[in-house]
Amino acid sequence: MSTYKLYYFSGRGRAEVSRLIFAAAGQKYEDIRYERDQWPSHKSEMPLGQMPVLEVDGTKLPQSLSIARFLAKQFQLAGKDNLEQAKVDAVVDTTSDLVSKYMPVHFEQDPKKKEELILKFLTEELPKHLQNLETLGKLYGNGGPFFVGNHLTWADLFFYEMGGNMLQVDANCLDNLPWLKKNRTEVEKQPKIAEYLKNRPQTQF
Amino acid sequence: MATYKLHYFNLRGRGEVARLIFAAAGQQFDDIRYERAEWPSHNAEMPLGQIPVLEFNGVKLPQSLAIARFLAKQFQFAGKDNLEQAKVDAVADTVADLMAKYGPTYKEQMETKNQACIQKFLAEELPRHLTNLETLGQMYSDGGYFFVGNHLTWVDLFLYDLLETIRQHDDHILVKYSWLKHNHEEVEKQPKIAAYLKSRTQTPV
Repeated sequence: MSTYKLYYFSGRGRAEVSRLIFAAAGQKYEDIRYERDQWPSHKSEMPLGQMPVLEVDGTKLPQSLSIARFLAKQFQLAGKDNLEQAKVDAVVDTTSDLVSKYMPVHFEQDPKKKEELILKFLTEELPKHLQNLETLGKLYGNGGPFFVGNHLTWADLFFYEMGGNMLQVDANCLDNLPWLKKNRTEVEKQPKIAEYLKNRPQTQF
Repeated sequence: MATYKLHYFNLRGRGEVARLIFAAAGQQFDDIRYERAEWPSHNAEMPLGQIPVLEFNGVKLPQSLAIARFLAKQFQFAGKDNLEQAKVDAVADTVADLMAKYGPTYKEQMETKNQACIQKFLAEELPRHLTNLETLGQMYSDGGYFFVGNHLTWVDLFLYDLLETIRQHDDHILVKYSWLKHNHEEVEKQPKIAAYLKSRTQTPV
């Protein structure tokens, strides 16, 4: 039996997809959360001085998406064969492209500049990335509500979380994207996910 | 017989890791290359209007790393079990972090014809990425010179090509990183890789 320790800040951020995978799998793990002032004293314990890190059976793994993919494969949430897993990975990478464009906006400290960046992001970036995801959902979804192969995979969980973050920035961003809207609704209906969402710590990020 | 078609520009860029995996596996594939002027007329054929795209058994897959991981798994270059594959993925994500910083720098240099941004990248950005990769190599390599588990995996190929590109600016970038230097040499010694490198189309990136 493997033991799992997930190290991250006290927030959702880049660790939440893994927490959602653990929840969907009904798998226990140590959910280690460092406050900002605790982190410097733990930084050197992590391979790249960054988090999240997953410790599994003594091995430390950095990189949030590698961690998530590993866990998804452990718990059969990655896709049932190589080609399905590739479709799942392609959807995840497309969601990740969206996140990468949002990160500089998120971290901007100057309020006026941030407002400009948000507007630019909402008009020039967000729509095309969401449209890409709507396209992939229809292409790989086999007519069902999940991204790949008519069953829940970590691609659905990752988009659930990141889509949720985008809805905080613009509550209407999915209005013209019915497939994506339905996908998120389907994810939050899953009993183990619904339970987890009800109980998870509410954090700013 | 499976048929593989790789669609990309007539460049190494984000397509080369897939080509290197095909070469390491001794696997035939359709190496479709678009010149810049041709590309707009093919844009709509691709799921996300982007390349590379892998076509396999009638399925079109976008996203260079999802493609690479799929091919690596087809040909046993991905890592021999889930944990090994996770280590390979973690290193690949770390290489991708470097590529994400290099890409815009290269683009800026091309547009401004000014070397200053390259020099800044080499002095201020590159070292911490190489240090991270050196750290992971030493951590996961089991005492050998492949990144994971004493055998060639796709991440060795991925980093090899990116470093060949960056070395064009400064041939001495690996001088302080002895593990990475050995890894680089080990990759180009592999007979199928050596043969491919000798015969492949030479492009600036």
